[in-house]
Amino acid sequence: MKYKYIILISLYLLHTSCEDFVSVEVPDYKIISETVFSNDITANSAVVGIYNELFKADFSNGNFRSVTMLAGLSGDNLRTTALNYAMIEFGENEILNTNSYNLDLWSSAYKIIYMCNAVLDGLQMSEGVTTKMKDKLMAEARFVRAFVYFYLVNLYGDVPLIQTTDYRVNALASRNTTPEVYELIIDDLKSAVAVLDINFDNGERLRANKFTAMALLARTYLFVEDWENAETFSNQVIDSSDNYTLLENLNEVFLVNSKESIWQLSPAGRGALSFITNEARIFILTSPPPNSQQPVALSSEIIESYDNEDLRLKHWIGKFDTENQAFYYPFKYKNNSQGIITEYNMVMRLAEQYLIRAEARAQLGKLTESIVDLDKIRKRANLQLISDSAPDIGKEALLDSISKERNRELFSEWGHRWLDLKRTGIATEVLSNKKSSWQDTDLLYPIPEDEINKNPNLTQNNGY
Amino acid sequence: MTKNHNLCRRRRIYACCLFFLSLSLTLSAQDLLVSGQVTDGQLPISGANVIIKNTNMGVVSDFDGRYTITAKPTDSLQISYLGYTTLTIPIHNRSTINIIMYEDATALGEVQINAGYYTTTDREKTGSIARITAKDIEGLPIVSPLEALQGRMAGVEVEQSSGIAGLAPSIRIRGTNSLRNDGNYPLFIVNGVPLNSEPLNSVGQLTSLSGLDPLSTIDPNNIESIEVLKDADATAIYGSRGANGVVLITTKKRRSMDKKTSLSINILSGVSEVANKVKLLNTPQYISMRKKAFENDGATPTQATAPDLMLWDQNQYTDWQEVLFGGTALMKNINIGLSGGNEYTSYLIGGSYHNQGSVFPDNFNYNKLTANFNLNHRSKDDKFLLDLSVNYGVDDNSLFFGNNFVNSALTTPPNAPAIYKEDGSLNWDNWVGNNPLAVLEQPQDIKTDNLLANMGLSYKILKGLNLKANLGYSKLNSEEQIRFFKEANRPSRWDYIKLNAIQSQTYRQSWIAEPQITYDMVEGKVEINTLVGATFQDNKNSYFAVEGSGYADKSLMGNLGAADDVRVLTDDNIHYRYSALFGRFGLNIDKKYFLNITGRRDGSSRFGPDKRFSNFWALGGAWIFSKEKVIREHISFLSFGKLRGSYGTTGSDQIGDYGYLDAYETTDGPGGLYPTQLFNPDYSWEINKKLETAIQLGFLKDRINLEVSWYKNSSSNQLVGYPLPAITGFTSVQANLPALVQNTGWEVQLSSINFTNRDFSWQTTLNMTFPDNKLVAFDNIDQTSYTNRYKVGYPLNIRKLYQYDGIDPETGFYRVVDINEDGRYNNDDRVVIKNMGRQYYGGVSNHFQYKGLSLQFLFEYIKQNNLGYIFSATPPGFLGNKPVEFLYAWKNPGDSEHIQKVSQSFSALVSSSNASNSSISIEDASFLRLKNISLSYQLPQDILEKLKLTSAKVFVSAQNLLTITKYGGLDPQGGSRAVPPLRTITCGIQVNL
Repeated sequence: MKYKYIILISLYLLHTSCEDFVSVEVPDYKIISETVFSNDITANSAVVGIYNELFKADFSNGNFRSVTMLAGLSGDNLRTTALNYAMIEFGENEILNTNSYNLDLWSSAYKIIYMCNAVLDGLQMSEGVTTKMKDKLMAEARFVRAFVYFYLVNLYGDVPLIQTTDYRVNALASRNTTPEVYELIIDDLKSAVAVLDINFDNGERLRANKFTAMALLARTYLFVEDWENAETFSNQVIDSSDNYTLLENLNEVFLVNSKESIWQLSPAGRGALSFITNEARIFILTSPPPNSQQPVALSSEIIESYDNEDLRLKHWIGKFDTENQAFYYPFKYKNNSQGIITEYNMVMRLAEQYLIRAEARAQLGKLTESIVDLDKIRKRANLQLISDSAPDIGKEALLDSISKERNRELFSEWGHRWLDLKRTGIATEVLSNKKSSWQDTDLLYPIPEDEINKNPNLTQNNGY
Repeated sequence: MTKNHNLCRRRRIYACCLFFLSLSLTLSAQDLLVSGQVTDGQLPISGANVIIKNTNMGVVSDFDGRYTITAKPTDSLQISYLGYTTLTIPIHNRSTINIIMYEDATALGEVQINAGYYTTTDREKTGSIARITAKDIEGLPIVSPLEALQGRMAGVEVEQSSGIAGLAPSIRIRGTNSLRNDGNYPLFIVNGVPLNSEPLNSVGQLTSLSGLDPLSTIDPNNIESIEVLKDADATAIYGSRGANGVVLITTKKRRSMDKKTSLSINILSGVSEVANKVKLLNTPQYISMRKKAFENDGATPTQATAPDLMLWDQNQYTDWQEVLFGGTALMKNINIGLSGGNEYTSYLIGGSYHNQGSVFPDNFNYNKLTANFNLNHRSKDDKFLLDLSVNYGVDDNSLFFGNNFVNSALTTPPNAPAIYKEDGSLNWDNWVGNNPLAVLEQPQDIKTDNLLANMGLSYKILKGLNLKANLGYSKLNSEEQIRFFKEANRPSRWDYIKLNAIQSQTYRQSWIAEPQITYDMVEGKVEINTLVGATFQDNKNSYFAVEGSGYADKSLMGNLGAADDVRVLTDDNIHYRYSALFGRFGLNIDKKYFLNITGRRDGSSRFGPDKRFSNFWALGGAWIFSKEKVIREHISFLSFGKLRGSYGTTGSDQIGDYGYLDAYETTDGPGGLYPTQLFNPDYSWEINKKLETAIQLGFLKDRINLEVSWYKNSSSNQLVGYPLPAITGFTSVQANLPALVQNTGWEVQLSSINFTNRDFSWQTTLNMTFPDNKLVAFDNIDQTSYTNRYKVGYPLNIRKLYQYDGIDPETGFYRVVDINEDGRYNNDDRVVIKNMGRQYYGGVSNHFQYKGLSLQFLFEYIKQNNLGYIFSATPPGFLGNKPVEFLYAWKNPGDSEHIQKVSQSFSALVSSSNASNSSISIEDASFLRLKNISLSYQLPQDILEKLKLTSAKVFVSAQNLLTITKYGGLDPQGGSRAVPPLRTITCGIQVNL
């Protein structure tokens, strides 16, 4: 009987020790969310994390699955020179709803949105972060969120607006209308403009400041055809000439922290051994096509759109000769060898602001002022000025010139051409001759089938 | 504070252990001298082992078959002799027991079966336990012990689909229970020590999918037995870890009790090659297909779209299958064991070496060295027992970083440029993309060492009352290095390339302590066996990966000091703790009625603080009805009859660690943090309920034995990485799902002695399994992301497919049905459902013996579907070689061909992609395979005496010699894109001195 008691007592002891035994501490490679948003330093790291991840995210990294590549193919800037079916589908505007590049583009964009929402949620509940820091970080998160939605709405049309981190709700989100998406973008950007200051963080142009938010706001207003606001905000950026100038030397535009840049992403975001931009790696031909590492080249249309004396043709376009033919490639980024970081991925730069203002002013009937802006860009390219050659140019002709100048200036950057063709309503006119199976429904990319399968409330775009 | 807390916790554990030890008081008992003679009915048997059951105490019968042993009056004697059925005889206070042994005709004997914390026999078991022993495993040219189970056990599916040594085979016991792929690993226990059954991480493309085998460092030839526990009765004592079944591996101990030191040597050597190749187009056929494609499309080939027509030699021909996986792999295996001892202490010390080449180009090798040590000791008063096992293994696998060559072999155009230049370097001229052998310039080396140590202690306190402790320690260290030489790239890129190398290390360390008390008693016809124990287990797993770049020279690669830049890719440290209380109550009356109750309370650190503990239990019973007088008298041909059944619950905690934490990790870029997962603090244990009934019958004095079981396992509260649309930021979250997965099935095991006399015997064993897997319930599945993958009422392993509609008579392209006529093809149109799991499977093994000559062969049969071979290729006309079937493509309206028109157009790709997701893409991939055949010869006694050997055997065997299937691809099991299982022929010799 004595044993019985001993056994019972020992069982009890064992049981209580079991309870304690299985609790383990937070491992050293994780930091819990509450701790992240308990002080300025780690909260700031969470935002730095967003900028780092932007250089890794497929949609924004400038690599094969990025807006730069895929929207570049959808428009008439880039063409495929190697057998890569996922890319060919974009190039032919015949994207399958199962295209994996399309899924990655979409998914990576929403992943960045999640990070932004997580920072916003975390900071809202945080008590340890100083108000000043909290406001700045929240404004930056809202800026990045607006930036991502800008591309989503332009590539896919109506998209679900995700503004929380609650997956139970978000998993069943349905698509919001395009005006609703723009409303959020403008709201986010306005609040960023209101809160952010004009300084560069550590002298680097890698984080959003007041002008970065203004520049994107100007672009957004241009896209929703609010010409006054587009002019107002581009004006403010251009007027800040202490911070931003058009560089005379075209070879310096894409360098680290160039004075023309409004916002750049650093290759360091990919990790410590990363020194070059993806654009330099995938555009600059190092062996003759077909070559799977550099599977695209510039189209003949864009090459033919340049005058011979245009400096951009000389400095921003490279040529690779083979026995039978010459291939042209974007050469804005020039450093494709390892070493140290000399170039950042350019997201927004001053030249675009001039072109935004030129277009807004032309639309508002301020033709003379518009010509001044356009000539800024033409002058740098060593082209004849409109003010000399056609000072009395009409509104439509001027808008046409601006549109062409945008293409020559901004080609192979962030899908500008594809977005411009769509917003100005000339995509069908321009592309139907060039793409054999062009349909009007090709203006929007398909919502990835995987996403529709996982979320019964998501609908597909027409034509897919 | 926490430190203090830890200290308290440890003190309590020590206190518990001390308590157990303090029970080891000196107690006495009345011993009895038992003696007798062992015979086969006529002649004495010398050298038979007479052991006291459940101990290591025993003696060996002398030349006249006589023995004498000291035992308790209530003990049972267990008598065994090679080739004879092992007997268990209760002493019942007798001092003289003469024993008659019968030749071992069947497997259904009184052989002790390891049930984990206790042992049982096939006759008395209340649960479902399958077993293979050393004689099934020895001589097989395998690397992973699990491969020995293939075709030999009902209810156990083992697949090694890669043909590459050192990779983890997949194993499923009674089907798929969890919706999570990585939630279906069984529990591995090696000599009582649980081993993390999750495959090891690997960065390499060849190895990352299946992972590395955590059991690879165990020498299969050193395994005494492998038991697989299947039903609730057998697995519930493992509680939360038993849901997917338990695999118990026991390594060899010294068998004989005599004092002679003996040495055994096994030598095995063999050759392997890929068992099957497929027929592809030759160069003229290929070129004409490609030209036809452009002609049909009205397109002009360019260098970009048709390098094969515009750039390459139109007459060159290479058989890429021969070049890329047509090699012959050599295999060698040597295993040596030395054992000896006396009546109190025995030891076995052994070692092995295994070397295996590969069928790929270049000299890739797999090497394995193992050492093992076992020590058994009992005190003179028989109260104290010790059993120590130490196994240590090192393996070294050299591979390359790249996909296996199968895809290249099947798709590289037959007129592609030469692989090498005349000077022996890789040729890059005209290759589009990469030269397929460029990956050889990216060597991947994996070195693993694994120590497993276990000590079992037992002390008899009182008659029937034993105090036991099972202590285990395991340590596994696996290092992988991948070096990217610049030669893997075309020379024009060399200037842009920095030499880099990735190194990674997986480290797993665990200890386990399991104090136990057992109490056994016999009171008249009633026998009771009880067991109470506790488990404390601590696992530390870490994974560290680092990339170094900018090495000045190849020879320095891997030395981080020589790298210009070093980047840490991963540095994860996971701590997993597990504790449990468990118990068993076994009762039998007159060895006729059996009852077994097991229970366990488990706690696991993988769950949030409020969800850590859960209870599991099972009830099993058996009735040996053949012992009833009425049966014995009326059904004389029935020599054995048993009904058994069990019901109980088990669980699973096989989910990632720390999933309940809302946590951030550092970004690859400097100074950043980012959220790496969605978190859910509320998920809890998955519950698996198992029901089983079975009947075991023996006919004609047990010459024919039949066991038929039916089981039903229901897994509810499914713990899954619940797939989410990417708009949530992630593609999954850990959660319990309101889904019920049910596995039911019939298992049949039959063994029969078809013929036997003094010189010749023929035995057949057969197993068949008819599994049925079904998703029984899933509330609102159409509201979840699972609606595409699963369908209620169907198995988990299905494909939802379009309805194939033949070839369009106008375009010549495949057509599928747009069911809802909405003009698009999506999930709503996927109305055809095909089961991709096994419909039934089994194995038949025959064993013929004539004097010393023995012939065994094992056939494995599986009825299943697989993705058709035709649709694993791009459509006819596209760049890349194609199956010869594509010669018969559709040409004109009215054609009845089954292959669409030759074309390289985009619409051809779209229609082919739709067809590959339609009903036509699934083929019958059932097969009958001669898994193993072996012929051996046991040298006769007179020669052995001359050679001064105890025994000697020579043998020759073949694996995967023959596969009969209708499937068109490389292998019905692996499909069209995996290295098919190798055909291996080996010969060997086993000698005992």
